[in-house]
Amino acid sequence: MTPTLTAPSTTATTASASTPPAGKGVSRRTITLILLVAPCLVLVVLINAYPLVVAASQSIHNGTLIVTGDFVGFSNYLDVLTSPRFWTAARFTLIFTIVGVFGSWLTGMGLALLLRTKIPCRGVFKVLLMLPWVVPIVVSSTAWNWLVSTPTSPLPTLTAKLGFGEVHFLANPTLAAITVCVFKVWVSFPFMMLMTSAALAAVDTTVYEAAGIDGASRWQQFVHITLPLISRSTYISWILMTIFCVNDFPTIYLLTAGGPVDATSSLVVLAYRTVFQDQQTGPGVAIAFLMTLVLVIVSTALYRQIRKVDIA
Amino acid sequence: MTTIASREPGTRGQWWRFAALLVITLIVLVPVFATLLLAIRPSASSSASGVLTLENFRYIFTSTDVIVWLGNSLGVTLATVVVSVVVAAPAGYVLSRGRSKAVAGFSLLLFVIQSLPVITAIIPLFVLFARIGLADNLIGLVIVYVGSTMSVATWMMAAYFDSIPHALEEAAWVDGCSVFGSFAKIVLRNSLPGILSTAIFAFLLAWNDYLVALVFLRSSVIFTLPIGLQTFFQQNATDWGSVMAVSVVMLLPPAIIFAVLNKYFSIGGIGGSLAGR
Repeated sequence: MTPTLTAPSTTATTASASTPPAGKGVSRRTITLILLVAPCLVLVVLINAYPLVVAASQSIHNGTLIVTGDFVGFSNYLDVLTSPRFWTAARFTLIFTIVGVFGSWLTGMGLALLLRTKIPCRGVFKVLLMLPWVVPIVVSSTAWNWLVSTPTSPLPTLTAKLGFGEVHFLANPTLAAITVCVFKVWVSFPFMMLMTSAALAAVDTTVYEAAGIDGASRWQQFVHITLPLISRSTYISWILMTIFCVNDFPTIYLLTAGGPVDATSSLVVLAYRTVFQDQQTGPGVAIAFLMTLVLVIVSTALYRQIRKVDIA
Repeated sequence: MTTIASREPGTRGQWWRFAALLVITLIVLVPVFATLLLAIRPSASSSASGVLTLENFRYIFTSTDVIVWLGNSLGVTLATVVVSVVVAAPAGYVLSRGRSKAVAGFSLLLFVIQSLPVITAIIPLFVLFARIGLADNLIGLVIVYVGSTMSVATWMMAAYFDSIPHALEEAAWVDGCSVFGSFAKIVLRNSLPGILSTAIFAFLLAWNDYLVALVFLRSSVIFTLPIGLQTFFQQNATDWGSVMAVSVVMLLPPAIIFAVLNKYFSIGGIGGSLAGR
């Protein structure tokens, strides 16, 4: 018997209706399921969970990449937490994340709303605006470097011609931080555009007709109808973008390598540089581990929150 | 003019929006245009004449290691895709059909794992892999990539399996089919879209990775393209023609997949968003 399936139903059914095969015990089914999940579980434990344990151990030793070193208790953490570099990096990570999440969300949502209206060549725009996200970061950072890195690059030349003087986009600490954040928004807004578009497509348009009859303005309709209706998707996209931003390495490193003078060093970049450039494994891992702890707490809390939204 | 506007109220606004969108799109795409244009323009130092040339591509493929790096990248990426799908599909099935506390715990574990910074795992893994000779090694790289795709890939497969009616399997079980049999013959066979999306997710992760390769790879013969590309940057005299030609080579595979499998690309690229399902 070959079952034919025309179109899989799009509504996700909750896993509750399955019954074990007739004539075979529940245990047989359980064993099969365990065997099916085993390779994945082994990989997750080996590549993700085990290193976490080792990292915890590394962070309380004063070793290098080669030797374990002596047990030093929490002194690595104390060193890290009292070092100004750590707090500079924490501050930049916070700014980078907030700008990354809300900058890309506002841009992406604005474009999604614009693309929802009647516009010639809408499909072409939709595809073209996805490109920053399709292009690998390694490639786009190269292009951005060409645009801004040296005083003779096109953008500084342009600002000079426009009378703003020579602008050192990556040499001035403040400007470098702004440039990195703008680059992150440039890379991420298509993701937000896609998420918002998908959510908007599911909104029932008859709601607006009713609101229009009731005399609600465009802005009122947006704030009181559209935003609440897509809130779950918005919420999820914020969470994901927060995780993407905090964990982001290449976007920052490929543009500025964390400089000038740590101005664009996020926690990930600082951890990388501490371990692989300053050869201080203990403190470097301690930085990574502090970041991990915060992310685990935040993501577990958010996971519960999404489940709650699901039930509501 | 006013009569036209009043007859078709949306038309004028429509063109204003078109103009605005056109300007925005052009500005946004400047870095992409720059990459493509510099790749096909003659380098300042080259002897090639004319406005457009493939000289840069000829140079990178004949006089540099780009062809080797391209091979490495393709090999590593394809291996990651295949292994990820083969391991994640059965696990996704368990996540979709299982209903015990253990499965719920597994689901939470995957969610937490997904949000962990790669940097935390990378440092101990580098130490471990260095000991067993997998650090400066492409197989080691594949293992790390597969591990990093696991949570999202499993989730994506589970989300797709959820859409496949249980009744189909139940019918097969009545006919004496085993659980594994129904998974392979019924669920998997009807899951091509889900498999494609997951494969694209794994492809993008492996193809675009910079951090893991940067930490693990030391010898230039086993560089992947993202690491190889960095060797073209020189302090003061970067040959932008070559750099952009390598960039275009790096950009092509994802661009082709995006063009051909647009829908699955979006789902695959969005990957993690399924985490909230």
